[in-house]
Amino acid sequence: MVEFSPETIEMVIRSVSVIAAGLALIAGIGPGVGMGFAAGKATSAVRRQPEARGSIVTTMLLGQIISGSTGIYSLVIAIYLVFT
Amino acid sequence: MKYINDPNRMQIEIIKKTYIFSIIPIVYALIAGEFETLLGFILGLIISTLLLRLRVLNIERSLDMPEGKAETFIRNRYFIEYLIYFAVLVVAKRNPSLNFLATAVGLFMMKFTVIIWAIFDMAKGGLQNKLKDYKDLKEDKYEKGGQ
Repeated sequence: MVEFSPETIEMVIRSVSVIAAGLALIAGIGPGVGMGFAAGKATSAVRRQPEARGSIVTTMLLGQIISGSTGIYSLVIAIYLVFT
Repeated sequence: MKYINDPNRMQIEIIKKTYIFSIIPIVYALIAGEFETLLGFILGLIISTLLLRLRVLNIERSLDMPEGKAETFIRNRYFIEYLIYFAVLVVAKRNPSLNFLATAVGLFMMKFTVIIWAIFDMAKGGLQNKLKDYKDLKEDKYEKGGQ
């Protein structure tokens, strides 16, 4: 049976955790793309119905607040993996 | 939600409600004497408040742009916000006088508040509808009894 030294095991754990942090950060791309898409559609909606601008801005703001949180979840996990 | 047509009023309401909800963890941290938690939480809260203001300004700016340009603009701004979140969380992790998880909770507080507010509004609307139905039913019964 092959035995690894504690230094090797620690190095493997560190490298795998850095890879996992990188993979976790992929989750941050999705909300950005989604928010951009929503903003584009909101712009065309305001152009069609300028009197609804206030409600469009508010709805978009609430949507962005909620959708942005998934990116931060992944960020928290990634930082925890890298710095612990 | 009452101020759905007025973004500025809505923004003030969100901030006000977030601070009211934040009293609970702040008082807990003060009573328990966990000053790292308190400082981390307040840092997260301040950053999330400033980012909310930035987000409103970005949205209002994007509405005057063409569709494709607005899409790219908001996407780029989101990644800048993401970098700010990253910087804040790294600072909280590396600084021993700030609690990392408390900072993360402070950053999330605004999202929690909006979700709780929406659930509360939904429950309130449902309850009011049920009460109205019950009153209508009662009035119908009285009318039928009177005849």
